[in-house]
Amino acid sequence: MSGKRDEDTGKRRDFLKLAGFAAVTGGGLLAGGTKPAEAAVEPETPSHGYRETEHVKAYYKLARF
Amino acid sequence: MAPGAASYGEEDVLRARFYRLLSHLLQAPPKVEDIELLAGMTGDSTPLGEAVGGVARVAAGIAPATIAREYHNLFIGLGRGELVPYGSYYLTGFLHEKPLAKLRADLIRHGIERAPEVREPEDHIAALCEAMAGLILGEFGEPATLDDQKTFFKTHIAPWAKYFFTDLEAAKSAVFYAAVGRAGVAFMEVEETAFEML
Repeated sequence: MSGKRDEDTGKRRDFLKLAGFAAVTGGGLLAGGTKPAEAAVEPETPSHGYRETEHVKAYYKLARF
Repeated sequence: MAPGAASYGEEDVLRARFYRLLSHLLQAPPKVEDIELLAGMTGDSTPLGEAVGGVARVAAGIAPATIAREYHNLFIGLGRGELVPYGSYYLTGFLHEKPLAKLRADLIRHGIERAPEVREPEDHIAALCEAMAGLILGEFGEPATLDDQKTFFKTHIAPWAKYFFTDLEAAKSAVFYAAVGRAGVAFMEVEETAFEML
């Protein structure tokens, strides 16, 4: 049984070797993230400014009361 | 390496890097330095390699501000962008649905938690790609076994990610990101095929 498993992972490895990754060179970017392990989701970016504005507007509206 | 063993080989590092590349591009528009690196990428004649070559070509010929505008129109817009890159949305038509709840439980099990300053739900495509990269490389503990990775992939990514990348490739606002979409489609197909071999 473990022989079949090893065979499967061997097949998988061979497939991945030919799948086109190795040619993907692109240096630092692919070596990738400076993100810490806990930041598993999207950090705030400047383009989230629109959402901030909506929340602020809602606050102002509520603050009138 | 057997699927039950917790370690990773060279090809898994390449997979993780590709997930990280996608995550990087989908959580924010690339900066000028990133774009230069992208423009220097080369790919072979496989579908994945050709898609990567496509990204490089567009990166080389497009202004950074144009890429940033694409990103904005695709994902931010006014309230929402052209696309809504969340698993719950693709699977149910709404955000914050069962797929997200299921993902949260799984992330907790794997010792992954959302950074405190982040408000977006965790089933964003960029977050999922980041999670896969971390699972492969053991950034949240031991490297996830291939069986574990396969389960995570089949549960949280395979049901919708290829549709998202296909939409991205076809999106009105996308030129650079259309090439990214094509690379995403190709990569998802590689992942699916490779996992099916186990």
